[in-house]
Amino acid sequence: MAKIELKSLEHRYASSRKEKDSFAIEDLNIVWEDGTANALLGPSGCGKTTLLNIISGLIKPTSGSVLFDGVEVNDRPTRERHIAQVFQFPVAYDTMTVFDNLAFPLRNQGKEGNEVEARVNEIMELLDLGSLTAMKASHLNPAEKQIVSLGRGIVRKDTVALLLDEPLTVIDPILKLDLRRKLKLVQQELKLTIIYVTHDQHEALTFADHVTIVRDGFIVQSATPEELFLHPRTPFVGYFIGSPGMNTLRCEKTSDGLEIPGSSLSLPSAIASRADKLKGRIDLGIRPEFVETSAEERSDWNRFTIQMVDHAGAYQVLTLQSGSLQIKARVEDHSISKEGDPMWVNFPSEKTNLYADGERVAP
Amino acid sequence: MSIRAENVCQSYGKQSVLKNLSLELEAGSFFTLLGPTGSGKTTLLRILAGIEKPAAGRIFYDGVDVTDLPVQQRKIAFVYQQFINYPSMSLFDNIASPLRVAKEKHSESEIERKVMETAELLRLTHVLHHLPEEVSGGQRQRCAIARALVKEARFIFLDEPLANLDYKLREELRTELKQIFKDRDGVVIYATPEPIDALSMATHVGFIHDGAVLQYGEVLDVYSNPSHASVASYFCHPQMNLFPCQVESRGEGCLLRASPDLTLQVDLKKDLLPADHYLLGIRPHHLFLTDPQNRMTPFKAKVELAEVVGSNTELHLRHKETKLTLLMQQVEQFPVGEEVTAYMDPDHLYIFDSKTGAFLTRTNKRVN
Repeated sequence: MAKIELKSLEHRYASSRKEKDSFAIEDLNIVWEDGTANALLGPSGCGKTTLLNIISGLIKPTSGSVLFDGVEVNDRPTRERHIAQVFQFPVAYDTMTVFDNLAFPLRNQGKEGNEVEARVNEIMELLDLGSLTAMKASHLNPAEKQIVSLGRGIVRKDTVALLLDEPLTVIDPILKLDLRRKLKLVQQELKLTIIYVTHDQHEALTFADHVTIVRDGFIVQSATPEELFLHPRTPFVGYFIGSPGMNTLRCEKTSDGLEIPGSSLSLPSAIASRADKLKGRIDLGIRPEFVETSAEERSDWNRFTIQMVDHAGAYQVLTLQSGSLQIKARVEDHSISKEGDPMWVNFPSEKTNLYADGERVAP
Repeated sequence: MSIRAENVCQSYGKQSVLKNLSLELEAGSFFTLLGPTGSGKTTLLRILAGIEKPAAGRIFYDGVDVTDLPVQQRKIAFVYQQFINYPSMSLFDNIASPLRVAKEKHSESEIERKVMETAELLRLTHVLHHLPEEVSGGQRQRCAIARALVKEARFIFLDEPLANLDYKLREELRTELKQIFKDRDGVVIYATPEPIDALSMATHVGFIHDGAVLQYGEVLDVYSNPSHASVASYFCHPQMNLFPCQVESRGEGCLLRASPDLTLQVDLKKDLLPADHYLLGIRPHHLFLTDPQNRMTPFKAKVELAEVVGSNTELHLRHKETKLTLLMQQVEQFPVGEEVTAYMDPDHLYIFDSKTGAFLTRTNKRVN
C-alpha cells in the first residue's frame, strides 16, 4: 500500500471552459497517509467521483499532480496504478465460485497453485466467506456479493490503494452493520490505504479515521470525526455533522461587548473577550448538546421559552425561543420539559466556537 | 372527527397481510403506524384512505361506514414515499391542482391565496415558478406535502414521506411537519418504520406487527410501558437490548444471571418470577463505559463496531454470545475488537416472558 497525495489539483470539464466558476475541482491539496482509513464526504455533485477517477487514472486532471509514495503518476495508465475499486453495485462473475472470483485477479497476474490458494484462503477467512467457498456467485445476496467484490479488490498484495464509491447503497439495512464491521476490520488487519467516497455522514464517520468534507470542488475541512464534531471549521460543517446540527448565531460587536441582534441575550464575558480580537463578520456556534439549560432561574443566564419538545428516547431536543432568536438544546430524557415553560440558558465559552467571516478562530 | 377500522383483513394471494385488525383514531392528534418493513402498515394506510378495499372488515369516518365509498369522494389527502408531482406543471400549479379539480369551485384569487399560504408554510415561496425537475428532492417532497395540505382535507395520510430524503432534510422536515400538523384540525396518520419519527413527532402510536396492532396508545406511554418484548425492542432508538437470563432467589430480592460473568442483583421478589428463565431488556442509553458512583454492574465486552450516528456513537458490543448496543451521547472512535469494560444500570431493566414475550415487570423506579 502507499501514501497518496494530490497536489494543487485542478479539473474542469471541457464543455464549461468559458465560465469562471465551472471548475469541478479547484486548487485541491490532500495527503492520505499509507495504511489509513479515509473518507471523502460531500453532497452529490461536489466532485467526489471526479477525484476518484483522477486517482485511478480514468481522468487526467487539467493541472496539478497525483503522487503515489512521493512519485508523480499523472502519466501512468490505469492498469499500472494498481488501484482497486469497489462500486455501488457489486461486481462478481456469476458463473464462477466465490473461490474462483477471489483467485481471478491473482491468476491474471500469472500466479498459480499454492500461492493463489494460500492468499485466497487468508482473505476468505478475514471476510468470513469460508462457508461460501464453492458457491456460484449468482446464488449470493447483494451483501455477500459486495463482500466478494471487496475480497477481489484486496487479494493482490501489490494493490496501492482501495477506493470505495458508496459501497453500501444497495445493501439491505440489516446487513449493513456486518459490512461496515468487515470493512473496518479489513482496513485494520491489512493496514490498507482506503478512500471511501460517500454523501452519508453516518458511513463516513463510522468508517474513517480521517474525513475530508468536500463542497463544490473545495475541501471545507479535513479532520478526525471527533474534531469535525467539536471544532467544525465553518458553520456549514457544524450543521452538516451532528444531529441536530450546530446552532449558528450572528453576532455584532458593540461598545458594551458582543450582542446577538434580535435578542436581548447577554453573552459570557469570556466569549465577548475572545470576540474582541476578531475582525469581520462574527458568528457564534454551539452544539445543542453543549448548551447548558436550567428550569430554575439562574441570574447570570438567559431566559428562553420552550417552543417545542422532540423526544428521542435517550434525550429530548428542545426548540428554545428568545425574541426572534431560536436555538436547539439537548437535554437528558428524564427532565420534564413542557412547551411554553421558561428555560434558563448558558453558552459555556470552552464549548463555543467563534467564526470570523465564516471561518473558525481557535480560542 | 374520527376514523375507525373494524376487524379488517387483507391478503395478497396466499399471504395474509392484515389479520382481523381494529383501531380507532381521533381528531387533533398525530398518529404514527410504526412497524418493520412488511408488517402491513402501508396496506393498512391504503385501506384506511380507501385506495385499497379490505377483503373483510369495515372502515368508518366519523361513525359513517365508508368502506365502499371511492377514494375520490372521501375528502382525504395522501402523500407517498415517492415524490409525486405533475412534471409539466410549475410548483404553483401543482399545489393549486387539487383546488382546481375540486367539486366546490374556488375563485382564482382564492386559489392564489391558499397556494401562497401553503407554500409559505412549506418554505416553497421562492421556487413556486419552477418545474419539479428544477428543484431539489426535498423541495419536490415539500411540494407533494403542500398539495395534500392545500385542500384542507379532514384526513391526511402519509406513507413514509421522508424515506427518500437524506438525513439532514429528514431532520428539518420532521420538525416542520410537527409544527404544521399541530395547528391543524383533522386526523393525521403517518406510516413509518422509524421509531424516531414516532417519538419526535407523534402524539399517538400504533405498533403494527405481523398484520395486527400489538400495542396502541400515547407515544410516551407506549415507549415507557411496552406490553411486549417486540414493542420494547423496536420502539427504541437504537433498539432495546434483549437477552436471556436465569433468575435465582438471593437474599431479599433475586439474582439475574445473563452469563457466568454478568449477574445483576435486583430488588424484585422471586415469587413474582417463578420460572427459571426470562428475557431481560435494557435500553442502549442505560449501558455505560464509566460508573463514577460505583452502583452499576460491570462486564467485559469486545467492540464489534462503533457507529457514529448523528451526534451519538452506537457502540456494538459482544459479551460472550450476547450482542449488546451501548449508546454514547458523543462522537468517539474505537478499533474493531477492542476489549472494554461496560456497565449495566440495574435500575433500568425490563423483564419479559421468555416464551410469549409478554411484559412482566421492571426494575426502574421512574418512568422512561
